[in-house]
Amino acid sequence: MLTYILISLINGVCINLSRSLNGRLAMDRNAFYASLWNHIIGFIFLSVILVVQGQQMTPFHFSAPWYSYLGGAMGALFVAINSYILPRTGSTQAAMLIISGQMISGVMIDHLSHPYSNLGIQSVAVLLIITGVWFSKISAAKRLNNR
Amino acid sequence: MRTTGTTMLLGISAGGLLTAMISTNSSLSTWNSPLIASWFAHGTGAVVAWILLMLRFRTLRPLKVDPVAKKPPKWSYLGGIPGAMTVLLAAIAVNSPLQLSGTLALVLMGQILFGLMADLRGWFGVIKCRFSVLDLYSVSLILGGSALLIYAR
Repeated sequence: MLTYILISLINGVCINLSRSLNGRLAMDRNAFYASLWNHIIGFIFLSVILVVQGQQMTPFHFSAPWYSYLGGAMGALFVAINSYILPRTGSTQAAMLIISGQMISGVMIDHLSHPYSNLGIQSVAVLLIITGVWFSKISAAKRLNNR
Repeated sequence: MRTTGTTMLLGISAGGLLTAMISTNSSLSTWNSPLIASWFAHGTGAVVAWILLMLRFRTLRPLKVDPVAKKPPKWSYLGGIPGAMTVLLAAIAVNSPLQLSGTLALVLMGQILFGLMADLRGWFGVIKCRFSVLDLYSVSLILGGSALLIYAR
């Protein structure tokens, strides 16, 4: 159990480490340049792992509906936006904003597929998240005034 | 910090984009595997990022406006490795006794712990900063709301 807990924590660290490295690259170069390198390096790394694991790919593996293939394009835009905001907000605030967006959009998708399930709890949770983002905005404004 | 409303909105929309990306990639992975789906997404993502770079948008400019173009450190090119690692680690943890909710909550914790360390120490070129009580409230409210959503599923 402890191993799995550690693996999940390290997973979170890897997510933020990756975003911070991309953000650092975007400080001296363009955010799209950071996104390009993130995808090239990740592609090479995953290719090596696929070869080592000896995974076979058949045409069946790629017979999903067309919209299932759009994730890469979304990822390219996501990494670019993240690399742009992270040097401006700092690591913690960037992570908080992205998590807030993920949670709120997740609730919206849930309501499209299963309307009115858990509506009460979900509304409270979204309200907490929005208040949190608002606090973060006030804090940033205060720091700006103190300069 | 120079965080403006626009930057914050961009961050929140990026989160929405991430939700769409994750659900799209998981739909693809039901036809093959999380590893193959992520490999394919990285390949197509590289092509799309290259096209976006070639279009030379005037938005999303670099932060440093040095008159002399500085070379970024070599290690800053390696962001793709921990990024790709997350797919492997998630695949191990989701099928464990932690299940999806436990995994998600711990992944959030890991992100925040790393973020706090990076900001306090000024790692990776972020501006070293201290946290105010307001920041503490903000992190607690967002994490609390997220935990409620994760466990209310």
